[in-house]
Amino acid sequence: MISVRGLRKHYKVHKRPPGLKAALRSLVHRSYTTVKAVDGISFDIRPGERVGFLGPNGAGKTTTLKVLSGLLYPSDGEVTVDGHVPQKREEAFLKKIMLVMGQKQQLLWDLPPAETFELNRAIYDVPQAQYKKTMSDLIELLEIGDLIGKPTRQLSLGERMKCELAAALIHQPRVLFLDEPTIGLDVAMQATMRTFIKEYNEKYGATLILTSHYMDDVAALCPRVIVIDKGLLSYDGGLDALVQRVRPEKRVVLRLSEEVDAGRLSPLGRVVTHESGTAVLQVQQEAVNATITRALSTLPVMDLTVENAPLEEVMSELFAESKARRTAASEPVPA
Amino acid sequence: MKVKRYLRLLGIQLKASGLLSLQYRADFFTEGLTSLFWTFTALAPLFVVYSERPSIEGWNFGEALLVVGWFTLLQGILEGAINPSLTGVVEHIRKGTLDFVLLKPADAQFLVSTQRFQPWRAFNVLTGIGLFVYAFMHLGRWPSVTGLLASVLLLGTSTLLLYSLWILTVSAAFFVVRVDNLTYLFTSIFDFARWPSSVFQGVGRGVLTMVFTYVIPLALMTTFPAQAMLGRLPPQSLVGAVVGAGLFAWGSRQVWLRSIRRYTSASS
Repeated sequence: MISVRGLRKHYKVHKRPPGLKAALRSLVHRSYTTVKAVDGISFDIRPGERVGFLGPNGAGKTTTLKVLSGLLYPSDGEVTVDGHVPQKREEAFLKKIMLVMGQKQQLLWDLPPAETFELNRAIYDVPQAQYKKTMSDLIELLEIGDLIGKPTRQLSLGERMKCELAAALIHQPRVLFLDEPTIGLDVAMQATMRTFIKEYNEKYGATLILTSHYMDDVAALCPRVIVIDKGLLSYDGGLDALVQRVRPEKRVVLRLSEEVDAGRLSPLGRVVTHESGTAVLQVQQEAVNATITRALSTLPVMDLTVENAPLEEVMSELFAESKARRTAASEPVPA
Repeated sequence: MKVKRYLRLLGIQLKASGLLSLQYRADFFTEGLTSLFWTFTALAPLFVVYSERPSIEGWNFGEALLVVGWFTLLQGILEGAINPSLTGVVEHIRKGTLDFVLLKPADAQFLVSTQRFQPWRAFNVLTGIGLFVYAFMHLGRWPSVTGLLASVLLLGTSTLLLYSLWILTVSAAFFVVRVDNLTYLFTSIFDFARWPSSVFQGVGRGVLTMVFTYVIPLALMTTFPAQAMLGRLPPQSLVGAVVGAGLFAWGSRQVWLRSIRRYTSASS
């Protein structure tokens, strides 16, 4: 469905030091630096897959999405989406895709969302019968029946985002790019969006690429993740496998019926947190069974769970790792 | 098929603008008053100049009034139909929401050019027509049918020219981001169009008249249609205006397409 080979996107950026003198000098003599937003990444995505793009700010996630949706010309490399070359922006291609950006909106600000829907219907040439069907599905799934008649400016952020999604899906795109779709939403609304996105993917078999800073989004939606860091691809595979690789240790969470000394916990494993009757221990995977047996026999355990390390931690460790690798590579080797 | 689709799109965009305008009904009265006020101030210099002499460069008072009428009418079109949409483009570029326009499977220039109309702003069109009637009453005769038909044709070319000039100005927004100053420059230059182009013949041995005919075709917009109404426009000028406007529109389209290619969208 999507094939990316050696994609590069470099920007030439005008750069100058701060200060009036430098500003005046830059009027005459401009110096440029090249920013390598994306620096040679390759991957393939099958139809109907849900893939998460992960990476710190400025890693090149949004740039990649914009190249895939035809908004940016790649500096180098080959990209095809369902047989189309995105930057040609052919109508047939544009009718198949959609990019949803959590930080930007397409709804007409002073008019009710229903007007934007109607406009998109005309732009995408959606037959009236299909439009009615899709619309009633979307209204039901997103619960926006009461909202679409109110002027957009009167809607809350969460309500607006739901209508944004509806506006983006009127033409039933087969490929959906979601750039931070849940940004700024409260936890309940985030969950609603996730459920909806998953349902849409399953119902229409749409291919889905998602970027998000909320790891919960990625964990709930994407069996496969692609990690991009400084424009380079640093991981492509299953989310579970990634966690296994970066943080193979498990977390044993103990709920205790009475307070215990820290000294009684430390022989079991590394104590991550210990407060108000709950202790979190980090132990090697193969030692999990032994730790549990020992904890049950030596401590007043009421309840016990075994978890993976939180994704946020896994990610920050992964980014720190690759940063350290880069620094090591750029430093001169001591003689 | 394609034409039909775009006409339908235009209809929907017009409907949305209409709905919005109805929300701001009071604008009709304020726009009306402002238009009358500005027309009066625009006419004042004309009264001053013509109280001294009967004609300037072959234009008497009534005839010069026709040029002002065309200027006012075009201003109405500019502010009601062209300006609102294209100012929207500048906003789109600044906020990065032009992305959504470029994602749509329809011509981007069409979509941005039709996104917003402000019918109340078009009050000047009525004022312009009022000025025509007054001018011809002053002249004591009425235009010929062919003259009228030619001027209607020129209304089309003038609108096309004005629109193309705006597209060129807006294309600059892809390069400089803050285009406000350019739009001010544009409106101040457009102000020259309130005078018959031959008035500037004395300046720099007619260089200014040349500039306003061929480079920034202001003469084609207001002087030509006024001449057509008076039955004084040579047929070759009419043909020239139609061909010229077509070429200008084509040129501005090329510039727009190139600018779009350069667009890299505001970082999110």
